[in-house]
Amino acid sequence: MARKMLIDGELSKPNEEETHYDFDLFVIGAGSGGVRAARFSANFGAKVAICELPFHPVSSEVIGGVGGTCVIRGCVPKKILVYGASFRGEIEDAKNYGWELNDKVDFNWKKLLHKKTEEIVRLNGIYKRLLTNAGVKLYEGEGKIVGPNEVEVTQLDGTKLCYSAKHILIATGSRAQRPTIPGQELSITSDEALSLDELPKRAVILGGGYIAVEFASIWNGMGVAVDLFFRKELPLRGFDDEMRAVVARNLEARGINLHPRTTLSELVKTEDGIKVITDHGEELTADVVLFATGRAPNTKRLNLEVVGVELDKMGAVKVDEYSRTNIPSIWAIGDVTNRMNLTPVALMEGTYFAKTVFGGQPSKPDYKDIPCAVFCLPPLSVVGLSEEQATDQAEGDILVFTSTFNPMKNTISGRQEKTIMKLLVDAETDKVLGASMCGPDAPEIMQGIAVALKCGATKAQFDCTVGIHPSAAEEFVTMRSVTRRIAAGNKPKTNL
Amino acid sequence: LSTPRLTFSSPKLQTLYRNFPISLSLNFSSSLSHSKTLTVAPGSLSQRPSSFSPRRCFAVRAESENGAEPRHYDFDLFTIGAGSGGVRASRFAANFGSSVAVCELPFATISSETTGGVGGTCVLRGCVPKKLLVYASKFSHEFDESGGFGWKFEAEPKHDWSTLMANKNAELQRLTGIYKNILKNAGVTLIEGRGKIVDPHTVDVDGKLYTARHILIAVGGRPFIPEIPGSEHAIDSDAALDLPSKPKKIGIVGGGYIALEFAGIFNGLNTDVHVFIRQKKVLRGFDEDVRDFVAEQMSLRGIEFHTEESPQAILKSADGSLSLKTNKGTVEGFSHIMFATGRRPNTKNLGLETVGVKMTKTGAIEVDEFSRTSVPSIWAVGDVTDRINLTPVALMEGGALAKTLFGNEPTKPDYRAVPSAVFSQPPIGQVGLTEEQAIQKYGDIDVYTANFRPLKATLSGLPDRVFMKLIVCAKTNKVLGLHMCGEDSPEIVQGFAVAVRAGLTKADFDATVGIHPTAAEELVTMRTPTRKIRNSSPPEGKTDPEVKAAAGV
Repeated sequence: MARKMLIDGELSKPNEEETHYDFDLFVIGAGSGGVRAARFSANFGAKVAICELPFHPVSSEVIGGVGGTCVIRGCVPKKILVYGASFRGEIEDAKNYGWELNDKVDFNWKKLLHKKTEEIVRLNGIYKRLLTNAGVKLYEGEGKIVGPNEVEVTQLDGTKLCYSAKHILIATGSRAQRPTIPGQELSITSDEALSLDELPKRAVILGGGYIAVEFASIWNGMGVAVDLFFRKELPLRGFDDEMRAVVARNLEARGINLHPRTTLSELVKTEDGIKVITDHGEELTADVVLFATGRAPNTKRLNLEVVGVELDKMGAVKVDEYSRTNIPSIWAIGDVTNRMNLTPVALMEGTYFAKTVFGGQPSKPDYKDIPCAVFCLPPLSVVGLSEEQATDQAEGDILVFTSTFNPMKNTISGRQEKTIMKLLVDAETDKVLGASMCGPDAPEIMQGIAVALKCGATKAQFDCTVGIHPSAAEEFVTMRSVTRRIAAGNKPKTNL
Repeated sequence: LSTPRLTFSSPKLQTLYRNFPISLSLNFSSSLSHSKTLTVAPGSLSQRPSSFSPRRCFAVRAESENGAEPRHYDFDLFTIGAGSGGVRASRFAANFGSSVAVCELPFATISSETTGGVGGTCVLRGCVPKKLLVYASKFSHEFDESGGFGWKFEAEPKHDWSTLMANKNAELQRLTGIYKNILKNAGVTLIEGRGKIVDPHTVDVDGKLYTARHILIAVGGRPFIPEIPGSEHAIDSDAALDLPSKPKKIGIVGGGYIALEFAGIFNGLNTDVHVFIRQKKVLRGFDEDVRDFVAEQMSLRGIEFHTEESPQAILKSADGSLSLKTNKGTVEGFSHIMFATGRRPNTKNLGLETVGVKMTKTGAIEVDEFSRTSVPSIWAVGDVTDRINLTPVALMEGGALAKTLFGNEPTKPDYRAVPSAVFSQPPIGQVGLTEEQAIQKYGDIDVYTANFRPLKATLSGLPDRVFMKLIVCAKTNKVLGLHMCGEDSPEIVQGFAVAVRAGLTKADFDATVGIHPTAAEELVTMRTPTRKIRNSSPPEGKTDPEVKAAAGV
């Protein structure tokens, strides 16, 4: 590959000795962010190497795989299982549409598991090819930073390789964490939950975040009895309160037992399964206990302390707006920096890193109006501010437009599940500050709305867009009446 | 006009309205000598008795065309036709404080000169029942998909047509009731019967005469079947939505969106479907790539297309089965033959010729940009004007008309970047220009395309794919057109329609972060143009070499 180093800009000084390095860039971790940064840097003409741990669906200190969390233990396998789970609802809905289904409908978890593994193995291969095609050198093994410009890779057979690089990028992601309660070793994390040998009959989930509600929906759809425990009044802290309540109601209506304001204090192995004891002293027995209680950055075995890379209290790598650590030649992107832990954000950070360091265009990722989705059933998707955030941040009055309706499909299926949409508008500027939706197809619908929001679209611009009929999405452009107006002086301060 | 959701807005609008003094202006109809501007105090409008009873006009009518004194009319607005456009215009007019009546034919699932129903085509014979049938038929595809996700049916799912029809009709009855309520709550007088225009200010409904300052024609359109031998054996879309039994084998004549939607519906319900189209391709007027893509996807699902075949005759054999004779041969054994060969405006027997309302060659009412006909007191909205025949467009026209006539705000409907969908399987969503239109208008454009196998299909093993296309102005970077065919297209395109309508650029799309994993995120992650078309030089082909990986990393 022709080596063509473009202007490094102000961020890295032109250096006559640059040719002494083995690589222009060495990336540790081949997940979403690492692969993106490696490929784009190579496309800018940089000589790039990347190292990644060997592939396995369940990660550990020594297990990973090209593709990273998103492809192997996150977005992709999760969405596959959500698809699998959603067929139960379809089968129920089909009856009133005239479909005669024998009550004997079987769900074979092992088959789905097998197909899922096949798919992520395929994707793992695609990602390796992406790297090869971009001219990126891939090393399998554990990477460690041994100096500001030096990386050591411990290969599978234990041999160590050492490379010098002008820039080092940490993109090692994060891993699921468990709280330390007695019997916590009996629990599993999302990694294992995506790859269980047997489908449990009874599952207990601890956590109120998106991972917890997604697995609750997945297992519920597969016929598992699910009990969901979370500390707050409602799941999904940080999301719009009204939407949180809708999600809770939907989960409950689909048969998931919610235990708000409850946490687990002990797990005990019994003959019948795992005895779960709550902080209220209640007991129940489950086959599987999933801890969806957060994720921690993978910074432990990178030797960062020795090189002097600063970490925050959570163990995340501290970076500036360009993703640079306190050591000028070392950079970090993605979940390991614990900024906004989403695949597309890691991709953005990777792209901007490559542009900054090798494209001669110093660029800061923009974290405003990043849309996201929770793939519970039905899903939730949001972009921009929640009502609470808008109320808190806005200078003037906020107009809240909401629409709650029975989706057309439910008029015949009889499913009792309302779709809800919300737009938050700055009363003075007419700008749409936030949009959220809980209902079928919400994540697909929200993407285009996100483009409009990102570009500062006004409510008037929403209103003058003609609807697509009959769709759910058309509600977003036909919200004519204000549901409520929140006066500027009338903002209750909350600690959400 | 959609389902019960509308009920939320009406009372609120009225409430809002009452908070402001409204100047009710009629001076827009300046060609009428009796124009007056009335200022109505807030409150007084809401006092208008909703039981306002029509009087026989000739009894109270004072001829005042010479401007001597204001003439009294039974109603400020008389709307003929309570479909999407008519209901919207009537409700909004009433909300502006005017007295409004609307007449509509009695309810029936199949329309005729004497049957119709409140709700109109959209609710009773179009969008709504069509979409319900699309939902019903789509389950079979989902059952097929579910196999790849570990689901197994002990017995092959069977479909019972009569259950579907019964549940669909119950829903239509419910909706027509809701629409009646919407009118009632808005204070609109609903008159059942056939309206006919007698003079520029008088409508005859089954012998009763009503006068109105303005008359609105919103009678819509009806399916059209060309006269060929045996065409009496053919059904149209009205009938196809309400058949007594499910077709075993159906021949669908036509390549437009209605033909494709019904092809998908019957195919999903395990009917053997043959589509006969005159041209080489389906969906004339749509983007060429989309035309090719949707036909291919539908063929893969088992629909047989007979291209460049024009129907010449329908023959009925002794056993009752039908054959379709075309210029290329005869296909036999149909239980049903459906013509989806276009729709015609319902302008017959409306008295239009008598009052001098001008029509186009196709029988559509000619209107100006404000929806006014050649007769100043007569207006028309919706399919009867044959502009863009879509429910949301009729709603826009109806809303604009109410503002123009009664809101003191002359408003032209804006037809730029109107999005639309085809509920074929897979469905299509689009907004803005096709590639061909964009080249014609702008010359230099960049075309971005994606054609990928969605995550669901990799597991299901079905040959489903998704096609997306962005057309970008090379000079301004504006997104001129967006087209998509694949699962969820209509839902996905709506939000993008806001962006395209707002004139956003490709750079704006690129600056938006994706929602992962969705299909829609592809539309904000298209980095390399598939081709650049320059007016001066032949197109530069450049294919995106990237493997479409799940995360697009």
